[in-house]
Amino acid sequence: MSTAVSVRGLRMRYGAADVLRGVDLEIRRGEIFTLLGPNGAGKTTTIEILEGFRRRSAGEVSVLGTDPEKGGDDWRARLGIVLQNWRDHTRWGVRELVVHLSRFYDAPRDPGELLASVGLTEQAGQQVGRLSGGQRRRLDVALGIIGRPELLFLDEPTTGFDPQARHEFHLLLTRLAADDGMTVVLTTHDLAEAEKLAHRTAILVGGRIAVCGTPGELAREVQAQSSVRWIEDGRERVLSTPDPSRSAWELHRRFDGPVPGLEIRRPSLEESYLELIGRAA
Amino acid sequence: MRALRIGMRRGWAEHMHLLRNRRELIGTLIGAVGFFALMLLWMGDRPVKGTDVSNATFMTAGFLAFTVFSNGLMTLPLSLVTDREEGALLRLRAVPGGIPAYLTGRAVTVLCQIALQSALLVATAVLVGGVAPPRDWLTLAWVLVLGTVAVVPLGAAIGCLLPSSKSGAGMVALPMMLLLVPSGVMFPVTAMPEAIQWVAQAFPLYWQGLGLRAAFLPDSMLVAEIAGSWRLPYVAAVLGAWTVAGMLLAPGLIRRMTRRESGSRLAERQLATQAA
Ligand SMILES: Nc1ncnc2c1ncn2[C@@H]1O[C@H](COP(=O)(O)OP(=O)(O)OP(=O)(O)O)[C@@H](O)[C@H]1O
Ligand SMILES: [Mg+2]
Repeated sequence: MSTAVSVRGLRMRYGAADVLRGVDLEIRRGEIFTLLGPNGAGKTTTIEILEGFRRRSAGEVSVLGTDPEKGGDDWRARLGIVLQNWRDHTRWGVRELVVHLSRFYDAPRDPGELLASVGLTEQAGQQVGRLSGGQRRRLDVALGIIGRPELLFLDEPTTGFDPQARHEFHLLLTRLAADDGMTVVLTTHDLAEAEKLAHRTAILVGGRIAVCGTPGELAREVQAQSSVRWIEDGRERVLSTPDPSRSAWELHRRFDGPVPGLEIRRPSLEESYLELIGRAA
Repeated sequence: MRALRIGMRRGWAEHMHLLRNRRELIGTLIGAVGFFALMLLWMGDRPVKGTDVSNATFMTAGFLAFTVFSNGLMTLPLSLVTDREEGALLRLRAVPGGIPAYLTGRAVTVLCQIALQSALLVATAVLVGGVAPPRDWLTLAWVLVLGTVAVVPLGAAIGCLLPSSKSGAGMVALPMMLLLVPSGVMFPVTAMPEAIQWVAQAFPLYWQGLGLRAAFLPDSMLVAEIAGSWRLPYVAAVLGAWTVAGMLLAPGLIRRMTRRESGSRLAERQLATQAA
């Protein structure tokens, strides 16, 4: 089976608020999939429905071939989960907590190796409550993969990471996906992160998936309009166009030579993303 | 079963964390045992009015009963709320078999705490207050065990209903203190108006205290008890009834609480605490 997660027409309503209005998603096994979207878009809601933590209002959802609302312990053992807001077990030792949670699985990772892989070897004897924000987050990630999950959910895992920790975290995830064939689903606000890490990315806006695809596809899709600027009759002209090379060529013909002050600008992914969100909202 | 085994280790680990935590340790030792020792020194020598039994012996039974009661119905529910707020419950929910292990762990921790504090109280009573060791160990044992079993599921049920750790502390502490006065654990219940005696008899604290007095006090104390009897069959029946009530209430409430637990509820509460 090559599909890890399949979502059709997912809807979620909180009272009068329609948070998800027909989300369709297909996540393949072994891929790193990022879910992007502004605050309050419903990323956490979507992910928690997939994790079986929340009942959806409507739609069909299948995670590793099971409806999350009916998933038992065997199903849960195949998932790894890193939530957005954990501040628990502050009195436990780092290693102690890792060892404790590893006992719930049949073939857990080795606690020592696991801590080393997230760079917490030195903190192994420390109390969880004494960790810095970024260290705490790394511990959360370690606990998420302790049971060798087939599918790992991470809700904003890199919030509070310093650049080096972020880089190492990306390497870790990439390695896990490549070596263990683990499927990774993560939410983030960091476009660069999504671009760098993900095989595919979906952008959730206004309760629907606005675009979904590889970084290349995404860039093409959202970067539809480039701007072409030049000087004519002493004034600056601007043209928005999906095909800037063609516009430049036409201008070149019209001027019958070099176009004064010609400038072609493709918006950055970030600008396109902001524009996309603005359009859908 | 794996979850139960992990839960027991978990409970023991949490118990050890409490012992290692200085604030917690001082709170328990000074708060419960130290206060008890002071009371013994201050008024332990005097006899209970109208009897030949020392206040110290009477108070020993009362403090023991209150220890069981407050651990089960105050400490336990508040730790459930804290675990919910910090996300410990949700983390265990993300793990296969995590919730049964979590609940087992909480129960084991409470049992360890009760056992430790009871032992310290009895030791203090004997060493500081010169109280004779209990004359009926068997009664002491079954009343302590049944009393504990009666309050633990009930405490879990209460914990599921408390809205937050901040407001929860007051919500459980106040009724607890109100109940302490008429339950006959501080002074003989027969000194109370009859209406209040009836109220006290509706709750497990009175019966727990009565059973423990039966274990510690001589029959000459019976003049200060309702109906002039230890009424041990009633002790068993009422504590048993509260056990059953707790067992009926707790599973549904616990299921509801864990089912409703999610990351954004966690975030909501954390925002609310930050704002406050
Ligand atoms: N339990 C709830 N009851 C009512 N409304 C809720 C609940 N949980 C979430 N919401 C609302 O649903 C919307 C989506 O929330 P969600 O947490 O899924 O967003 P998000 O995309 O994860 O945002 P962020 O980037 O801030 O983490 C928000 O408007 C939020 O207020
Ligand atoms: Mg979120």
